[in-house]
Amino acid sequence: MRMPPFTLHTPENLAQALSLASEMDNFDWVAGGTDLLPNYKWHLNPKPNVISLAKVQELTALSSTVIGAMVRVHDLANSEEIHPLIRETAATIASVMIRRSATVGGNICLDTRCYWFNQTEEWRRSIDWCHKCDCDTGADCRVVPNQNTLCVATYQADLAAAFIALDATIHLASGDGTRSMPFADFFQLDGMTRNVLKLGELVTHVTLPEDSVNWEGGYQKLRLRETWDFPEAGVAAAWKIEDGKIAALRVASTGCESIPGDHSELAEGAIGEWNGKQSIRDLAEGVRKAVKPVSNTYFPPAYRRKMLRVLTRRALSPLEHL
Amino acid sequence: MAKGYRQAPGKGGSKKRTDGKRVAGQQDFGVPGSGGSDPYSKLQDLDYVPESVGGWKKQPRGPHVHDRHVTGMTIGKPVPLVDSNWKITGQAHYGDDIRLPGELIGKILRSPHHYAKILSIDTSAAEAMDGVFAVATGQDSVNKFGVLPVTKDEHAMAQEKVRHVGDLVACVCAIDEATAIEAMNAISVDYEVLPSIHDMEDGLKDSENPIHDRGKYHIGESNVQKRVFQQFGDLEGMKDAPFHHEADWETAGLHHGFTEPHAVVAHWDPSGRLTVWTPQQVPHYLHRGLSAVLDIPMHQINVHRTFVGGGFGGKSDPFPHEMCAAILARKSGRPVRINFDREEVYWINRGRHPSRIQMGVFADDEGRISGIETDALIDGGAFASFGHVTTYYNGVLHTAPYEIGAFNYTGARVWTNKPASGAMRGHGAVNSRCAVEVGIDAVSEQMKVDPMTFRLANLLPPHSRTITGFRVTSTGMRECLAKVREQSGWDEKFRNLPLGKGIGVGCGFFISGSGLPIHWDPENFPHATVHLQCDMDGGVTVHTGAADIGQGSDTAVAQAVSEVLALPLDMIRIRSKESDTAPVDLGSYSSRVTFMNCNAAIKAACELRDKVLKAAWEITGYNPDVLVIGDRRIYYKHDPAIGVSWLEAVHKAQADVGSLIASGAYRTPPMGGIHKGAAAGLAPAYSFSAYVAEVDVDVETGFVKITKAWAAHDCGKALNPLAVKGQIIGSCHMGMGQVLSEEMKYGRNGHLMNPDLLDYKIMSVHEMPDVVPIIVESNDPEGPFGAKEAGEGPLLPILPAVCNAIYDAIGIRIDELPVTPDRLHKRIEKHCRKLGIDDPLELPVPRFEAGPLQQKLVERAKSHAKRDHLRDIQEDRSSYVNGVLFGFDPDKPMSEQKEGWRESVIPTPEDLADPKKRAARAWSHVERRHRGDA
Amino acid sequence: MSIHIRVPMLPGSGKEVWQANVNGEENEHLVESNSILLDVLRDQVGTLGVKRGCDMGTCGCCAVLIDGEPRLSCLCLAKEASGTEITTVEGLADGHHLHPIQQCFAEAGGSQCGFCTPGFLVVSAALLDENPQPSRSEIKCAIEGNLCRCTGYQQIVDAVEMAAAMKRGGTSTPDTTDPKSDPHPLGPDDPSLPPGSSK
Repeated sequence: MRMPPFTLHTPENLAQALSLASEMDNFDWVAGGTDLLPNYKWHLNPKPNVISLAKVQELTALSSTVIGAMVRVHDLANSEEIHPLIRETAATIASVMIRRSATVGGNICLDTRCYWFNQTEEWRRSIDWCHKCDCDTGADCRVVPNQNTLCVATYQADLAAAFIALDATIHLASGDGTRSMPFADFFQLDGMTRNVLKLGELVTHVTLPEDSVNWEGGYQKLRLRETWDFPEAGVAAAWKIEDGKIAALRVASTGCESIPGDHSELAEGAIGEWNGKQSIRDLAEGVRKAVKPVSNTYFPPAYRRKMLRVLTRRALSPLEHL
Repeated sequence: MAKGYRQAPGKGGSKKRTDGKRVAGQQDFGVPGSGGSDPYSKLQDLDYVPESVGGWKKQPRGPHVHDRHVTGMTIGKPVPLVDSNWKITGQAHYGDDIRLPGELIGKILRSPHHYAKILSIDTSAAEAMDGVFAVATGQDSVNKFGVLPVTKDEHAMAQEKVRHVGDLVACVCAIDEATAIEAMNAISVDYEVLPSIHDMEDGLKDSENPIHDRGKYHIGESNVQKRVFQQFGDLEGMKDAPFHHEADWETAGLHHGFTEPHAVVAHWDPSGRLTVWTPQQVPHYLHRGLSAVLDIPMHQINVHRTFVGGGFGGKSDPFPHEMCAAILARKSGRPVRINFDREEVYWINRGRHPSRIQMGVFADDEGRISGIETDALIDGGAFASFGHVTTYYNGVLHTAPYEIGAFNYTGARVWTNKPASGAMRGHGAVNSRCAVEVGIDAVSEQMKVDPMTFRLANLLPPHSRTITGFRVTSTGMRECLAKVREQSGWDEKFRNLPLGKGIGVGCGFFISGSGLPIHWDPENFPHATVHLQCDMDGGVTVHTGAADIGQGSDTAVAQAVSEVLALPLDMIRIRSKESDTAPVDLGSYSSRVTFMNCNAAIKAACELRDKVLKAAWEITGYNPDVLVIGDRRIYYKHDPAIGVSWLEAVHKAQADVGSLIASGAYRTPPMGGIHKGAAAGLAPAYSFSAYVAEVDVDVETGFVKITKAWAAHDCGKALNPLAVKGQIIGSCHMGMGQVLSEEMKYGRNGHLMNPDLLDYKIMSVHEMPDVVPIIVESNDPEGPFGAKEAGEGPLLPILPAVCNAIYDAIGIRIDELPVTPDRLHKRIEKHCRKLGIDDPLELPVPRFEAGPLQQKLVERAKSHAKRDHLRDIQEDRSSYVNGVLFGFDPDKPMSEQKEGWRESVIPTPEDLADPKKRAARAWSHVERRHRGDA
Repeated sequence: MSIHIRVPMLPGSGKEVWQANVNGEENEHLVESNSILLDVLRDQVGTLGVKRGCDMGTCGCCAVLIDGEPRLSCLCLAKEASGTEITTVEGLADGHHLHPIQQCFAEAGGSQCGFCTPGFLVVSAALLDENPQPSRSEIKCAIEGNLCRCTGYQQIVDAVEMAAAMKRGGTSTPDTTDPKSDPHPLGPDDPSLPPGSSK
């Protein structure tokens, strides 16, 4: 497949990267390339300039609480000092070959996906395009027709659920400085906007709370095959046990909507009168209700929604007897 | 004798009607090994053929024609593929690896519409671009082609209509890919969009604009491409049967999923000849197609098969892009290379037909299968491809391995505006076989009989004639079932496993080489020819047209020659790639290569061997009768010290007779009935298989994991056990994909939603269970060293085995493929609602309690096992005729048979009255030529 | 009605010098800025053993070793592999001695049509460098990014196990150029020689 023409820039450090970015008004960042390059090969919104972060050393920090955006997913999955929930989640991403190239930042900023969008240019021409990549035709959404405002493409990154469950903070940088926010706040409900990143801004790293080492958790992922496939639904749960009781509980979902779902309020509410299996069932039902997938991935939305309930139950199963 | 491409019927038979029609059930067959007018069995002269090292061995299943050619050099030993060192060093060149100096890159402009009239094409802007060397459209070649001579409905590029998204409209070649894409985009096409059809049932209806027009042969105004009707046996008896299971199956379309996308290079050399390099399973069909499309004689074309990166049936049609490359190369004067993107691979498709199959399996109170009733509607997509044959195969391949009382088949194939379906591993037999085997499982449950026992008590014996007249020679079905039963621990596990765990069995039956060479009369030309050439270096060069697509046909042919000549494999060189040097061959489809090419190779090798033995006689003074051919030596039987080397004998032979060449051919023996469609499904031998699969079903999510499979396949004789095992395991992988995950998904407006390897879900290494390949050798009397096919048959049984195991695990009968988690989850929910259960973890599991028939069938199976053994070893190999179990008397004419027994291929209105039957509706249309209108 | 809203392919990206050591040989080519490593390897370096299966990171046919680590060359920007050491399937053998993994793929039936084989070979070779005694499940995890349509993977896993044992045992593979079978296996002094013949 032929790549559209672009100029690749390879800054050596963060300052260079940001200053390059500030000079351009139409470019993409590329980290591992496992998301961007397939999209480019299918001519999905290619830009004339691409700035590679491969050589930017500042973004590769890796410790139990700091995870640089350019840390490879493979390294994350195999690093002893990383939180087990993060490792477990990272190990389910795509295939080992993809994980060897893919990065944490790339996974967080994964472009949203849709059956009507992630197709070749020829294919999309045959449906007269769609509004996520409309080639200036003003095309409609093909999933939910007769609306041209919101893009419902699905956010199918695994790590987001784990980061939200562990109450991580995401750190951004641009030519104008840096900013940080709770992980869930990074996302913006629209398949095209996706997140709060401004032009020229990038994710530098993610930090976990100091006490995250005391948290336990689990990640459950719905996918047809145990490799390659994006999550059709994913649930991460994390909790802290103190004196044999649940002191804190956070639940997050991914793979169902245009942004990951943070269900921690629901979870926190359930702790008070925790009643083992019953509480888990109620919580799972709550998560199911909170999420509304649409028909744009492999499995039908009704099934994904029901499975969210099963995944939540399974993720929380260690808490059954508390 | 009527000429044509129908098999010569009843040849050698004594009871013939004066009107030339065959009397049903009264057909004799030629002696085993006879191969038409020049049978290779002539070489079986026991007085002449020297005893070889392996010698005459008593075979457990009776004598076999090639026993005397066994030298023990390579046959039956696991040998690496002879071309594997090219593959493992990266030096095997596939389609896209052919790089010629001065090559141009070709790109194809495709239709963005499902169905549209082309009003105009303007290529001027493209032609004017720098770096563009040629642009071609449908106007550049108006000649039709198609894989089957009876259904040629394809063109290099669209003529006046495009018939599916991705249909070829125009092509360009340019200095590089970017320029070619730009030029392609500069071609302007005006379309008038026509209403398209996507559901196969719509294809049965009249249409204003049928997708193809076959003139006076068109079936009404519909999109029915082919319809088949066959009724054999006692249909009344079948309908009265006390046990029956009817199911309405929906199976999705599949793609072969080979890893190598199609690619082609075409070059017209300075002498004006065209060479086309392409990964083709059947170079000869392409050869014919190119000649027709380009309007040049065949001898002006050299089709060069590259290494083939997987075929599975998907590279056996002549393809329009191959024509495009040749046209572009002709126009531009430069070599042109076209390499497909993955999506284009799905657009050209030729995969498994999406189908709706109504399947009825009937059994009587004696525990006999009193009938199989099938109505199969298959979705052919936009072109005919192999569909004519597929329509037959969906029915006729049910007629074994069981003895049945009746066979009632209606089948139809329709055109729709989708990429064309075609032949895929297990061609036409897979979906309907799954339905039959699940039906058998359900019927045995109704009868309270173990499905293993039920099957064992109803098998056709070796040397039988099926209800529609197929000649089954060897069968190892019984042994296959016995082995999987024992190794899987069936008796302990069946209906004894907890909820979510299940075990199931399935059987299969498949042709070992289509008996009908579709492009010529088998009376005139053989199916396969092999030439051998041996020169002063002593090595033997084998020229064959058999296409090695990775299954190892080069290896098999080399083994056959090596075995007969008692030479190590490294002295055998295979030249199978170019039509210039290879004899005409039908290529790699219908699992024919091992059977047909190895037989031809054996014959050629015997001829060569005789020449060399004669020379050895001259040198040693010992008659070939007492000479033994060993490892590169020919020596006196009673004193191995007296002998000559292979090379010496070769040199002597050359001195005596000049060039040392030999040729062998294979043609199928005359066989089969004379009814319309009798040749479909005919084969010189059939393979059999039985699998047991164990599954884990997650009742909360609907996920099915196959945990282990025992796969017994009767391949006659494993020429290369390593390759046979590879075929069995690989078939399992593909079959498991079909049953659990693979499907071509079409969106709500008819678009193929998953034309890529991420969304077309081929099983990964993690989903693949441990498969225990079990080779069963029934030693086919006519197969090369007893061999039959092993490439396609092994795929069939895994589907029903898994479906039946799912039933064993959760009590839900499957009737829709693939069994994806969402589909199964829906079924589980429905099942729970029906039973009034909230939690699927509380679902009841089917249990087994033997009924009164069980013991009766156990005993019948035992007595049949004895019968089969005797039939295996006895000299007399006249046919056991299907129906005897039901009181049919093969010695009586049809008119004197018991009431109700019939043979019919022309439906009456009553036959088609059932409104539920879909394919039967295809007969509501009258073929235009019979309509009486002008 | 025709639609011509397409992403333009021309003019192409600017070209730069690309340099890498491929299979022990220094390579220098002028490549476009947007070039993908797979394309450079196939079209410019000429290592056609690197296969293009899906071009989208799923099939693994294009796998190569970059500085010893298996990577998908179809999802690798050429420029980012500039200055590295790249091993393709062509670089696995030691002269005429096959790498154990190559030998075992042939012997265990790990390769049927052979198209996915180069990818599996480099991935497996890297695994054996890292883990001399991998379990079957470790092997499966290492090859989970490679798609094989012919073998059903079982004989591939067998082959990797075999190769691991071979490598641990230090057995070297035979020279593929060693003399093959002699069509005249009789010496001049061989008593089995018939009268009048000699080598």
